[in-house]
Amino acid sequence: MVDAAVLTQIDDLQSRYMRTLDRRAMDDWAACFDGQGSYVCIARENEEQDLALAIMMDDNSERIRDRVTYVTKIWVGVFEDYTTRHFVQRIECRQLQPALFLVESNFMVAYTTSRGRSEMLVAGVYKDEIVLGEGGAAFRSKRAILDTTVTPRYLVYPV
Amino acid sequence: MLARNGDVSTLRWPSKFNEVPKDVFNREDVYRLELERIFYGPEWHMLAHRSEIAKAGDFKTATIGQAPVLIVHGDDGEIRVFANSCTHRATQLKTCARGNGKEIECPYHRWLFNNQGDLIGAPGMREFKQGFRREDYALRKLRTAEFCGIVFATFSDDAPAFDDYLGETRPFIAKAVGGDGRLKLLGYQKVSFASNWKAYADNEGYHGPLLHTAFQMLKWSTSNGAQFMTSHAHKVNHIELGQLPDFGPLQDSSVIEGRDPKLVPVNLIISLFPLSLVIHNLDVINLRYAFPVSPHETEVHYAYFAHEDDDEALVRHRIRQGSNLQGPSGFISLEDGAVFNRIHTGSHTAGNAEFQKGVTGPGPIATPFNLGKGDEAGNLIRWEHYRQAMGFERG
Repeated sequence: MVDAAVLTQIDDLQSRYMRTLDRRAMDDWAACFDGQGSYVCIARENEEQDLALAIMMDDNSERIRDRVTYVTKIWVGVFEDYTTRHFVQRIECRQLQPALFLVESNFMVAYTTSRGRSEMLVAGVYKDEIVLGEGGAAFRSKRAILDTTVTPRYLVYPV
Repeated sequence: MLARNGDVSTLRWPSKFNEVPKDVFNREDVYRLELERIFYGPEWHMLAHRSEIAKAGDFKTATIGQAPVLIVHGDDGEIRVFANSCTHRATQLKTCARGNGKEIECPYHRWLFNNQGDLIGAPGMREFKQGFRREDYALRKLRTAEFCGIVFATFSDDAPAFDDYLGETRPFIAKAVGGDGRLKLLGYQKVSFASNWKAYADNEGYHGPLLHTAFQMLKWSTSNGAQFMTSHAHKVNHIELGQLPDFGPLQDSSVIEGRDPKLVPVNLIISLFPLSLVIHNLDVINLRYAFPVSPHETEVHYAYFAHEDDDEALVRHRIRQGSNLQGPSGFISLEDGAVFNRIHTGSHTAGNAEFQKGVTGPGPIATPFNLGKGDEAGNLIRWEHYRQAMGFERG
Protein backbone atom coordinates (compact mmCIF):
# COMPACT_ATOMS: atom_id res chain seq x y z
CA MET A 1 0.00 0.00 0.00
CA VAL A 2 1.52 3.30 -1.06
CA ASP A 3 1.17 6.14 1.42
CA ALA A 4 -1.57 8.69 0.59
CA ALA A 5 0.87 11.59 0.89
CA VAL A 6 3.09 9.93 -1.73
CA LEU A 7 0.12 9.40 -4.04
CA THR A 8 -0.75 13.07 -3.68
CA GLN A 9 2.75 14.05 -4.81
CA ILE A 10 2.54 11.64 -7.74
CA ASP A 11 -0.89 12.92 -8.78
CA ASP A 12 0.30 16.50 -8.46
CA LEU A 13 3.12 15.70 -10.88
CA GLN A 14 0.68 14.16 -13.38
CA SER A 15 -1.55 17.23 -13.11
CA ARG A 16 1.42 19.48 -13.66
CA TYR A 17 2.41 17.41 -16.70
CA MET A 18 -1.10 17.71 -18.20
CA ARG A 19 -1.23 21.41 -17.41
CA THR A 20 2.08 22.21 -19.07
CA LEU A 21 1.15 20.37 -22.28
CA ASP A 22 -2.38 21.72 -22.54
CA ARG A 23 -1.03 25.23 -21.95
CA ARG A 24 1.85 24.56 -24.37
CA ALA A 25 4.40 25.60 -21.76
CA MET A 26 7.18 23.46 -23.19
CA ASP A 27 9.95 24.59 -20.81
CA ASP A 28 7.73 23.67 -17.89
CA TRP A 29 7.00 20.31 -19.57
CA ALA A 30 10.75 19.58 -19.69
CA ALA A 31 11.01 20.54 -16.01
CA CYS A 32 8.64 17.67 -15.10
CA PHE A 33 11.59 15.29 -15.71
CA ASP A 34 14.53 14.88 -13.39
CA GLY A 35 18.08 15.41 -14.67
CA GLN A 36 18.33 11.81 -15.88
CA GLY A 37 14.81 11.69 -17.29
CA SER A 38 13.64 10.11 -20.52
CA TYR A 39 10.46 10.40 -22.54
CA VAL A 40 9.25 7.83 -25.06
CA CYS A 41 5.99 7.77 -27.02
CA ILE A 42 5.51 4.41 -28.75
CA ALA A 43 2.72 2.45 -30.45
CA ARG A 44 1.34 -0.50 -28.50
CA GLU A 45 1.89 -2.64 -31.60
CA ASN A 46 5.65 -2.11 -31.28
CA GLU A 47 5.70 -2.35 -27.49
CA GLU A 48 3.96 -5.74 -27.49
CA GLN A 49 6.21 -7.19 -30.17
CA ASP A 50 9.46 -5.98 -28.59
CA LEU A 51 10.05 -3.59 -31.47
CA ALA A 52 11.86 -0.58 -30.04
CA LEU A 53 11.01 1.91 -32.79
CA ALA A 54 9.03 4.80 -31.26
CA ILE A 55 7.16 7.90 -32.42
CA MET A 56 9.15 10.14 -30.09
CA MET A 57 12.28 8.95 -28.30
CA ASP A 58 13.94 11.39 -25.94
CA ASP A 59 16.25 9.05 -24.12
CA ASN A 60 18.27 11.69 -22.28
CA SER A 61 17.72 15.17 -20.90
CA GLU A 62 19.40 16.80 -23.92
CA ARG A 63 16.87 15.13 -26.20
CA ILE A 64 14.05 16.39 -23.99
CA ARG A 65 15.47 19.89 -24.35
CA ASP A 66 15.73 19.36 -28.12
CA ARG A 67 12.03 18.45 -28.28
CA VAL A 68 11.29 21.81 -26.70
CA THR A 69 13.43 23.36 -29.44
CA TYR A 70 11.54 21.46 -32.19
CA VAL A 71 8.21 22.80 -30.96
CA THR A 72 9.23 26.32 -30.01
CA LYS A 73 11.82 27.11 -32.71
CA ILE A 74 12.09 24.63 -35.60
CA TRP A 75 8.47 23.89 -36.52
CA VAL A 76 7.13 27.35 -35.77
CA GLY A 77 4.87 28.74 -38.48
CA VAL A 78 4.55 25.61 -40.59
CA PHE A 79 1.70 23.74 -38.94
CA GLU A 80 -1.94 24.49 -38.30
CA ASP A 81 -1.97 24.60 -34.53
CA TYR A 82 -4.29 22.59 -32.32
CA THR A 83 -5.13 22.57 -28.65
CA THR A 84 -5.06 19.44 -26.51
CA ARG A 85 -6.86 18.31 -23.37
CA HIS A 86 -5.26 15.48 -21.45
CA PHE A 87 -7.33 13.22 -19.18
CA VAL A 88 -5.28 10.92 -16.97
CA GLN A 89 -6.37 8.31 -14.43
CA ARG A 90 -3.88 6.50 -12.22
CA ILE A 91 -4.62 2.76 -12.18
CA GLU A 92 -1.60 1.30 -10.38
CA CYS A 93 1.29 2.47 -8.21
CA ARG A 94 4.10 0.29 -6.89
CA GLN A 95 7.12 1.22 -4.82
CA LEU A 96 10.36 0.03 -6.46
CA GLN A 97 12.84 1.72 -4.11
CA PRO A 98 12.38 4.03 -1.10
CA ALA A 99 11.98 7.08 -3.36
CA LEU A 100 11.18 5.46 -6.73
CA PHE A 101 7.68 4.46 -7.83
CA LEU A 102 6.31 2.66 -10.87
CA VAL A 103 3.04 4.29 -11.85
CA GLU A 104 0.63 3.19 -14.53
CA SER A 105 -2.13 5.54 -15.73
CA ASN A 106 -4.70 5.47 -18.51
CA PHE A 107 -4.89 8.55 -20.70
CA MET A 108 -7.02 10.08 -23.40
CA VAL A 109 -6.07 13.22 -25.30
CA ALA A 110 -8.65 15.24 -27.18
CA TYR A 111 -7.52 17.77 -29.78
CA THR A 112 -9.27 20.76 -31.29
CA THR A 113 -8.27 22.26 -34.62
CA SER A 114 -8.33 25.92 -35.56
CA ARG A 115 -11.73 25.24 -37.13
CA GLY A 116 -13.08 24.42 -33.70
CA ARG A 117 -13.67 20.72 -34.23
CA SER A 118 -12.67 18.32 -31.46
CA GLU A 119 -11.73 14.68 -31.86
CA MET A 120 -9.70 12.06 -30.05
CA LEU A 121 -5.97 12.45 -30.71
CA VAL A 122 -4.69 9.36 -28.89
CA ALA A 123 -5.61 6.95 -26.11
CA GLY A 124 -3.26 4.71 -24.21
CA VAL A 125 -1.39 4.10 -21.01
CA TYR A 126 1.53 5.81 -19.29
CA LYS A 127 4.13 3.63 -17.64
CA ASP A 128 6.14 6.03 -15.53
CA GLU A 129 9.03 5.85 -13.11
CA ILE A 130 8.62 8.70 -10.66
CA VAL A 131 11.25 9.82 -8.15
CA LEU A 132 10.44 11.71 -4.99
CA GLY A 133 13.05 14.23 -3.92
CA GLU A 134 13.31 17.36 -1.87
CA GLY A 135 11.98 19.41 -4.74
CA GLY A 136 8.94 17.16 -5.11
CA ALA A 137 8.13 14.42 -7.61
CA ALA A 138 9.71 14.18 -11.08
CA PHE A 139 9.68 11.69 -13.94
CA ARG A 140 12.76 9.48 -14.15
CA SER A 141 11.14 8.00 -17.23
CA LYS A 142 7.81 8.47 -18.92
CA ARG A 143 6.58 5.97 -21.47
CA ALA A 144 3.38 6.85 -23.35
CA ILE A 145 2.15 3.64 -24.99
CA LEU A 146 -0.44 4.44 -27.64
CA ASP A 147 -3.41 2.15 -28.22
CA THR A 148 -4.05 4.53 -31.11
CA THR A 149 -1.66 2.83 -33.49
CA VAL A 150 -2.74 5.01 -36.42
CA THR A 151 -2.39 8.60 -35.24
CA PRO A 152 -4.18 11.44 -37.03
CA ARG A 153 -2.23 13.88 -39.25
CA TYR A 154 0.76 14.96 -37.13
CA LEU A 155 1.88 15.17 -33.53
CA VAL A 156 3.54 18.47 -32.68
CA TYR A 157 3.40 18.18 -28.91
CA PRO A 158 4.43 15.29 -26.69
CA VAL A 159 1.57 13.27 -25.22
CA MET B 1 -13.07 17.47 -73.87
CA LEU B 2 -14.87 14.58 -72.20
CA ALA B 3 -13.27 11.69 -70.44
CA ARG B 4 -14.15 8.23 -71.68
CA ASN B 5 -15.78 7.06 -68.49
CA GLY B 6 -19.35 8.26 -68.14
CA ASP B 7 -19.14 8.79 -64.36
CA VAL B 8 -16.36 11.31 -64.67
CA SER B 9 -17.42 12.86 -67.95
CA THR B 10 -17.65 16.32 -66.43
CA LEU B 11 -13.99 16.40 -65.47
CA ARG B 12 -11.97 18.66 -67.73
CA TRP B 13 -8.23 18.11 -67.93
CA PRO B 14 -6.41 21.35 -68.79
CA SER B 15 -4.51 21.68 -72.06
CA LYS B 16 -1.42 23.13 -70.38
CA PHE B 17 0.99 20.38 -69.34
CA ASN B 18 1.93 22.06 -66.07
CA GLU B 19 -1.64 22.18 -64.79
CA VAL B 20 -3.70 19.62 -62.88
CA PRO B 21 -7.43 20.03 -62.17
CA LYS B 22 -8.05 20.45 -58.43
CA ASP B 23 -11.19 18.36 -58.86
CA VAL B 24 -9.14 15.16 -59.01
CA PHE B 25 -8.19 15.59 -55.35
CA ASN B 26 -11.70 15.45 -53.96
CA ARG B 27 -14.30 14.02 -56.35
CA GLU B 28 -15.87 10.73 -55.29
CA ASP B 29 -16.41 9.57 -58.89
CA VAL B 30 -12.76 10.19 -59.74
CA TYR B 31 -11.75 8.24 -56.65
CA ARG B 32 -13.90 5.24 -57.61
CA LEU B 33 -12.31 5.23 -61.06
CA GLU B 34 -8.83 5.43 -59.48
CA LEU B 35 -9.55 2.31 -57.47
CA GLU B 36 -10.54 0.47 -60.62
CA ARG B 37 -7.85 1.73 -63.00
CA ILE B 38 -4.89 2.26 -60.71
CA PHE B 39 -5.20 0.35 -57.44
CA TYR B 40 -6.95 -2.68 -58.94
CA GLY B 41 -5.49 -1.93 -62.37
CA PRO B 42 -2.12 -2.61 -64.01
CA GLU B 43 0.19 -1.23 -61.29
CA TRP B 44 2.36 -2.94 -58.66
CA HIS B 45 2.01 -2.15 -54.96
CA MET B 46 4.64 -2.50 -52.24
CA LEU B 47 3.23 -4.46 -49.29
CA ALA B 48 5.93 -5.88 -47.04
CA HIS B 49 9.53 -6.81 -46.55
CA ARG B 50 10.42 -10.45 -46.06
CA SER B 51 11.86 -9.64 -42.61
CA GLU B 52 8.38 -8.62 -41.41
CA ILE B 53 7.19 -12.18 -41.99
CA ALA B 54 10.48 -13.99 -41.55
CA LYS B 55 9.26 -17.49 -40.54
CA ALA B 56 6.95 -20.03 -42.14
CA GLY B 57 3.38 -19.31 -41.06
CA ASP B 58 4.08 -15.61 -40.44
CA PHE B 59 1.51 -13.31 -42.00
CA LYS B 60 0.86 -9.61 -42.37
CA THR B 61 -2.32 -7.79 -43.37
CA ALA B 62 -2.22 -4.87 -45.79
CA THR B 63 -4.44 -2.90 -48.12
CA ILE B 64 -4.35 -2.22 -51.85
CA GLY B 65 -6.75 0.59 -52.65
CA GLN B 66 -9.48 -0.41 -50.25
CA ALA B 67 -9.06 -4.15 -50.74
CA PRO B 68 -7.69 -6.11 -47.75
CA VAL B 69 -4.83 -8.45 -48.62
CA LEU B 70 -2.96 -11.07 -46.66
CA ILE B 71 0.76 -11.66 -47.13
CA VAL B 72 1.74 -15.14 -45.98
CA HIS B 73 5.12 -16.83 -45.58
CA GLY B 74 4.20 -20.31 -46.81
CA ASP B 75 5.35 -23.58 -45.28
CA ASP B 76 7.44 -23.99 -48.45
CA GLY B 77 9.27 -20.67 -47.89
CA GLU B 78 7.44 -18.85 -50.68
CA ILE B 79 5.74 -15.56 -49.87
CA ARG B 80 2.27 -15.26 -51.38
CA VAL B 81 -0.26 -12.47 -51.37
CA PHE B 82 -3.96 -13.36 -51.16
CA ALA B 83 -7.19 -11.41 -51.05
CA ASN B 84 -7.91 -11.30 -47.31
CA SER B 85 -11.37 -12.69 -47.87
CA CYS B 86 -12.84 -16.17 -47.55
CA THR B 87 -13.75 -17.73 -50.89
CA HIS B 88 -17.09 -18.77 -49.37
CA ARG B 89 -18.90 -15.65 -48.15
CA ALA B 90 -16.10 -13.06 -48.36
CA THR B 91 -15.43 -12.83 -44.61
CA GLN B 92 -12.14 -11.08 -43.80
CA LEU B 93 -9.80 -13.84 -42.68
CA LYS B 94 -7.15 -12.04 -40.61
CA THR B 95 -7.68 -8.77 -38.78
CA CYS B 96 -4.45 -8.18 -36.79
CA ALA B 97 -1.48 -6.38 -38.34
CA ARG B 98 0.87 -9.38 -38.07
CA GLY B 99 0.84 -12.87 -36.66
CA ASN B 100 1.73 -16.51 -37.14
CA GLY B 101 -0.45 -19.56 -37.74
CA LYS B 102 -0.32 -23.15 -38.90
CA GLU B 103 -3.42 -22.60 -41.02
CA ILE B 104 -5.84 -19.88 -41.97
CA GLU B 105 -9.32 -20.49 -40.61
CA CYS B 106 -12.39 -18.45 -41.44
CA PRO B 107 -14.30 -17.89 -38.18
CA TYR B 108 -17.73 -17.77 -39.84
CA HIS B 109 -18.16 -21.35 -41.15
CA ARG B 110 -14.71 -22.70 -40.25
CA TRP B 111 -13.46 -23.11 -43.79
CA LEU B 112 -9.79 -23.98 -43.42
CA PHE B 113 -6.93 -23.00 -45.72
CA ASN B 114 -3.26 -23.91 -45.51
CA ASN B 115 -0.49 -21.31 -45.65
CA GLN B 116 -0.23 -21.87 -49.40
CA GLY B 117 -3.86 -20.76 -49.77
CA ASP B 118 -5.34 -24.18 -50.59
CA LEU B 119 -8.73 -25.05 -49.13
CA ILE B 120 -8.10 -27.98 -46.79
CA GLY B 121 -11.71 -28.55 -45.91
CA ALA B 122 -15.04 -27.12 -44.85
CA PRO B 123 -17.69 -28.46 -42.43
CA GLY B 124 -20.63 -30.14 -44.17
CA MET B 125 -18.87 -30.42 -47.51
CA ARG B 126 -20.92 -33.51 -48.49
CA GLU B 127 -24.04 -31.37 -48.63
CA PHE B 128 -22.46 -28.73 -50.88
CA LYS B 129 -23.76 -28.03 -54.37
CA GLN B 130 -23.10 -30.92 -56.75
CA GLY B 131 -19.78 -30.60 -58.52
CA PHE B 132 -18.13 -28.60 -55.72
CA ARG B 133 -14.37 -28.99 -56.00
CA ARG B 134 -12.03 -27.90 -53.23
CA GLU B 135 -9.40 -26.79 -55.72
CA ASP B 136 -11.79 -24.16 -57.09
CA TYR B 137 -11.95 -22.48 -53.69
CA ALA B 138 -8.31 -21.74 -52.91
CA LEU B 139 -7.70 -18.20 -51.65
CA ARG B 140 -7.52 -15.69 -54.47
CA LYS B 141 -3.82 -15.28 -55.15
CA LEU B 142 -2.41 -12.04 -56.49
CA ARG B 143 0.52 -11.75 -58.89
CA THR B 144 3.44 -11.36 -56.51
CA ALA B 145 7.09 -10.42 -57.01
CA GLU B 146 10.04 -9.73 -54.75
CA PHE B 147 13.13 -7.53 -55.04
CA CYS B 148 15.73 -7.31 -52.25
CA GLY B 149 13.16 -8.95 -49.99
CA ILE B 150 10.55 -6.28 -50.74
CA VAL B 151 7.23 -7.88 -51.65
CA PHE B 152 5.01 -6.33 -54.30
CA ALA B 153 1.69 -7.52 -55.70
CA THR B 154 -0.96 -6.60 -58.21
CA PHE B 155 -4.56 -7.65 -58.81
CA SER B 156 -4.07 -7.15 -62.55
CA ASP B 157 -2.92 -9.62 -65.18
CA ASP B 158 -2.14 -6.59 -67.36
CA ALA B 159 0.47 -5.07 -65.03
CA PRO B 160 3.86 -4.90 -66.76
CA ALA B 161 6.55 -7.47 -66.02
CA PHE B 162 7.86 -6.65 -62.53
CA ASP B 163 11.43 -6.00 -63.68
CA ASP B 164 10.15 -3.58 -66.30
CA TYR B 165 7.97 -1.86 -63.70
CA LEU B 166 10.94 -1.19 -61.39
CA GLY B 167 13.21 -0.38 -64.34
CA GLU B 168 16.02 2.05 -63.56
CA THR B 169 15.07 2.27 -59.88
CA ARG B 170 16.51 -1.19 -59.11
CA PRO B 171 20.10 -0.24 -58.12
CA PHE B 172 18.82 2.63 -56.00
CA ILE B 173 16.29 0.44 -54.18
CA ALA B 174 19.05 -2.09 -53.54
CA LYS B 175 21.32 0.63 -52.15
CA ALA B 176 18.50 1.95 -49.94
CA VAL B 177 18.01 -1.46 -48.30
CA GLY B 178 21.67 -2.06 -47.56
CA GLY B 179 22.70 -3.52 -50.93
CA ASP B 180 21.13 -6.94 -50.56
CA GLY B 181 17.92 -6.42 -48.61
CA ARG B 182 18.97 -8.57 -45.65
CA LEU B 183 17.03 -6.51 -43.15
CA LYS B 184 15.77 -6.79 -39.60
CA LEU B 185 12.48 -5.16 -38.59
CA LEU B 186 12.71 -2.38 -35.98
CA GLY B 187 9.06 -1.34 -35.82
CA TYR B 188 6.30 0.80 -37.25
CA GLN B 189 4.79 4.24 -37.19
CA LYS B 190 1.33 4.63 -38.71
CA VAL B 191 -0.46 7.84 -39.54
CA SER B 192 -3.62 8.95 -41.25
CA PHE B 193 -3.23 12.10 -43.34
CA ALA B 194 -6.33 14.24 -43.92
CA SER B 195 -5.50 14.41 -47.58
CA ASN B 196 -6.06 12.81 -50.96
CA TRP B 197 -3.48 10.15 -51.80
CA LYS B 198 -2.18 12.13 -54.77
CA ALA B 199 -1.30 15.14 -52.62
CA TYR B 200 0.71 12.79 -50.38
CA ALA B 201 2.44 11.35 -53.45
CA ASP B 202 3.05 14.78 -55.00
CA ASN B 203 5.96 15.62 -52.68
CA GLU B 204 8.88 17.19 -54.54
CA GLY B 205 12.25 18.86 -54.08
CA TYR B 206 11.05 22.43 -54.47
CA HIS B 207 9.33 22.56 -51.09
CA GLY B 208 12.15 20.76 -49.22
CA PRO B 209 14.33 23.60 -47.96
CA LEU B 210 11.39 26.01 -47.90
CA LEU B 211 8.97 24.04 -45.72
CA HIS B 212 11.47 22.02 -43.68
CA THR B 213 13.69 24.07 -41.38
CA ALA B 214 15.70 20.96 -40.60
CA PHE B 215 16.66 20.53 -44.27
CA GLN B 216 18.46 23.86 -44.07
CA MET B 217 20.21 22.82 -40.85
CA LEU B 218 21.32 19.56 -42.46
CA LYS B 219 22.29 21.34 -45.69
CA TRP B 220 20.46 18.71 -47.73
CA SER B 221 19.38 21.19 -50.34
CA THR B 222 22.95 22.22 -51.11
CA SER B 223 24.52 18.76 -51.32
CA ASN B 224 25.43 16.94 -54.53
CA GLY B 225 23.12 14.46 -56.10
CA ALA B 226 20.81 13.42 -58.86
CA GLN B 227 17.08 13.29 -59.33
CA PHE B 228 15.40 11.61 -62.25
CA MET B 229 12.07 10.29 -63.42
CA THR B 230 11.73 6.88 -65.04
CA SER B 231 9.53 5.81 -67.92
CA HIS B 232 7.06 4.30 -65.44
CA ALA B 233 6.70 7.64 -63.62
CA HIS B 234 8.88 6.65 -60.67
CA LYS B 235 11.14 9.27 -59.10
CA VAL B 236 14.63 8.72 -57.76
CA ASN B 237 16.16 11.35 -55.52
CA HIS B 238 19.75 10.53 -54.62
CA ILE B 239 21.78 13.05 -52.63
CA GLU B 240 25.12 12.31 -51.01
CA LEU B 241 25.43 14.27 -47.80
CA GLY B 242 29.19 14.75 -47.92
CA GLN B 243 29.25 18.04 -46.08
CA LEU B 244 29.28 18.03 -42.29
CA PRO B 245 25.98 19.51 -41.24
CA ASP B 246 25.51 22.39 -38.88
CA PHE B 247 23.44 20.96 -36.06
CA GLY B 248 22.09 24.36 -35.18
CA PRO B 249 20.35 24.66 -31.86
CA LEU B 250 20.22 20.92 -31.02
CA GLN B 251 21.95 19.78 -27.82
CA ASP B 252 22.14 16.09 -28.78
CA SER B 253 23.32 15.92 -32.38
CA SER B 254 24.01 12.17 -32.21
CA VAL B 255 20.49 11.57 -33.43
CA ILE B 256 21.27 13.14 -36.83
CA GLU B 257 24.72 11.70 -37.44
CA GLY B 258 25.62 9.30 -40.24
CA ARG B 259 27.27 6.26 -38.63
CA ASP B 260 26.83 3.44 -41.13
CA PRO B 261 30.46 2.55 -41.98
CA LYS B 262 29.42 1.06 -45.36
CA LEU B 263 27.68 4.12 -46.70
CA VAL B 264 28.36 7.79 -47.27
CA PRO B 265 25.39 9.48 -45.62
CA VAL B 266 22.63 9.81 -48.18
CA ASN B 267 19.18 11.15 -48.66
CA LEU B 268 17.85 8.50 -51.03
CA ILE B 269 14.17 8.49 -51.91
CA ILE B 270 12.61 6.17 -54.49
CA SER B 271 9.01 7.09 -55.12
CA LEU B 272 7.20 4.35 -57.05
CA PHE B 273 3.94 5.00 -58.85
CA PRO B 274 1.34 5.04 -57.48
CA LEU B 275 2.05 5.19 -53.77
CA SER B 276 5.12 3.29 -52.58
CA LEU B 277 8.22 4.86 -51.06
CA VAL B 278 11.62 3.31 -50.37
CA ILE B 279 13.76 5.63 -48.28
CA HIS B 280 17.27 5.76 -46.85
CA ASN B 281 17.72 9.03 -44.95
CA LEU B 282 21.06 9.27 -43.12
CA ASP B 283 20.99 5.85 -41.38
CA VAL B 284 17.22 5.36 -41.47
CA ILE B 285 16.04 2.48 -43.69
CA ASN B 286 12.36 2.95 -44.23
CA LEU B 287 9.61 1.46 -46.41
CA ARG B 288 6.38 3.45 -46.56
CA TYR B 289 3.26 1.52 -47.47
CA ALA B 290 0.29 3.73 -48.22
CA PHE B 291 -3.31 3.35 -49.29
CA PRO B 292 -6.29 5.64 -49.74
CA VAL B 293 -9.05 5.34 -47.15
CA SER B 294 -11.31 7.70 -49.12
CA PRO B 295 -10.74 10.67 -51.47
CA HIS B 296 -10.12 12.66 -48.30
CA GLU B 297 -7.86 10.39 -46.27
CA THR B 298 -4.61 8.51 -46.85
CA GLU B 299 -3.09 6.04 -44.42
CA VAL B 300 0.67 5.52 -44.36
CA HIS B 301 2.52 2.76 -42.54
CA TYR B 302 6.21 3.48 -42.01
CA ALA B 303 8.23 0.31 -41.48
CA TYR B 304 11.79 0.77 -40.16
CA PHE B 305 14.70 -1.62 -40.53
CA ALA B 306 18.28 -2.33 -39.56
CA HIS B 307 20.65 -4.45 -41.65
CA GLU B 308 21.38 -7.98 -40.48
CA ASP B 309 25.12 -7.17 -40.37
CA ASP B 310 24.71 -4.15 -38.10
CA ASP B 311 26.33 -4.31 -34.69
CA GLU B 312 24.25 -3.54 -31.61
CA ALA B 313 25.36 0.10 -31.48
CA LEU B 314 24.34 0.74 -35.10
CA VAL B 315 20.94 -0.92 -34.55
CA ARG B 316 20.42 1.30 -31.53
CA HIS B 317 21.43 4.34 -33.57
CA ARG B 318 18.98 3.46 -36.36
CA ILE B 319 16.18 3.06 -33.77
CA ARG B 320 16.93 6.47 -32.24
CA GLN B 321 17.21 8.15 -35.62
CA GLY B 322 14.05 6.57 -37.04
CA SER B 323 12.12 7.42 -33.88
CA ASN B 324 13.07 11.07 -34.09
CA LEU B 325 13.63 12.04 -37.72
CA GLN B 326 10.57 10.69 -39.50
CA GLY B 327 6.91 9.88 -39.03
CA PRO B 328 4.03 11.92 -37.60
CA SER B 329 6.33 13.70 -35.15
CA GLY B 330 9.57 13.56 -37.12
CA PHE B 331 12.17 16.30 -36.93
CA ILE B 332 12.37 16.39 -40.75
CA SER B 333 8.88 15.19 -41.67
CA LEU B 334 6.23 16.67 -39.39
CA GLU B 335 5.79 19.62 -41.71
CA ASP B 336 4.65 17.38 -44.59
CA GLY B 337 1.77 16.00 -42.55
CA ALA B 338 0.95 19.51 -41.46
CA VAL B 339 0.66 20.78 -45.01
CA PHE B 340 -1.20 17.85 -46.64
CA ASN B 341 -4.52 18.70 -44.98
CA ARG B 342 -4.15 22.31 -46.09
CA ILE B 343 -3.54 21.25 -49.69
CA HIS B 344 -6.63 19.09 -49.47
CA THR B 345 -8.83 21.82 -48.05
CA GLY B 346 -7.54 24.29 -50.62
CA SER B 347 -8.20 21.88 -53.47
CA HIS B 348 -11.94 22.32 -52.93
CA THR B 349 -11.69 25.60 -54.83
CA ALA B 350 -12.21 25.94 -58.58
CA GLY B 351 -9.48 25.76 -61.20
CA ASN B 352 -6.14 24.04 -61.58
CA ALA B 353 -3.08 23.43 -59.44
CA GLU B 354 0.10 24.48 -61.24
CA PHE B 355 3.68 23.34 -61.39
CA GLN B 356 6.29 25.97 -62.22
CA LYS B 357 9.76 25.21 -60.81
CA GLY B 358 11.83 23.54 -63.50
CA VAL B 359 9.15 23.55 -66.20
CA THR B 360 10.97 24.45 -69.40
CA GLY B 361 8.54 23.92 -72.22
CA PRO B 362 4.86 23.76 -73.08
CA GLY B 363 4.69 20.06 -73.98
CA PRO B 364 5.03 16.70 -72.26
CA ILE B 365 8.38 15.80 -70.71
CA ALA B 366 10.19 12.77 -72.15
CA THR B 367 11.59 10.10 -69.83
CA PRO B 368 14.05 9.36 -68.41
CA PHE B 369 14.17 12.94 -67.24
CA ASN B 370 16.83 14.48 -65.03
CA LEU B 371 15.41 17.01 -62.64
CA GLY B 372 17.23 20.11 -61.56
CA LYS B 373 17.98 20.46 -57.88
CA GLY B 374 14.89 21.62 -56.04
CA ASP B 375 12.55 21.32 -59.02
CA GLU B 376 8.95 20.16 -59.12
CA ALA B 377 8.68 19.55 -62.89
CA GLY B 378 9.28 15.81 -62.52
CA ASN B 379 5.87 15.41 -60.90
CA LEU B 380 4.31 16.28 -64.26
CA ILE B 381 5.53 12.89 -65.52
CA ARG B 382 3.61 11.23 -62.70
CA TRP B 383 0.56 13.30 -63.57
CA GLU B 384 0.80 12.41 -67.25
CA HIS B 385 1.01 8.72 -66.34
CA TYR B 386 -2.01 9.19 -64.06
CA ARG B 387 -3.99 11.05 -66.74
CA GLN B 388 -3.40 8.32 -69.28
CA ALA B 389 -4.19 5.53 -66.78
CA MET B 390 -7.45 7.27 -65.93
CA GLY B 391 -8.37 7.92 -69.55
CA PHE B 392 -8.85 11.68 -69.10
CA GLU B 393 -8.41 13.58 -72.35
CA ARG B 394 -6.73 16.95 -72.48
CA GLY B 395 -8.91 19.92 -73.26
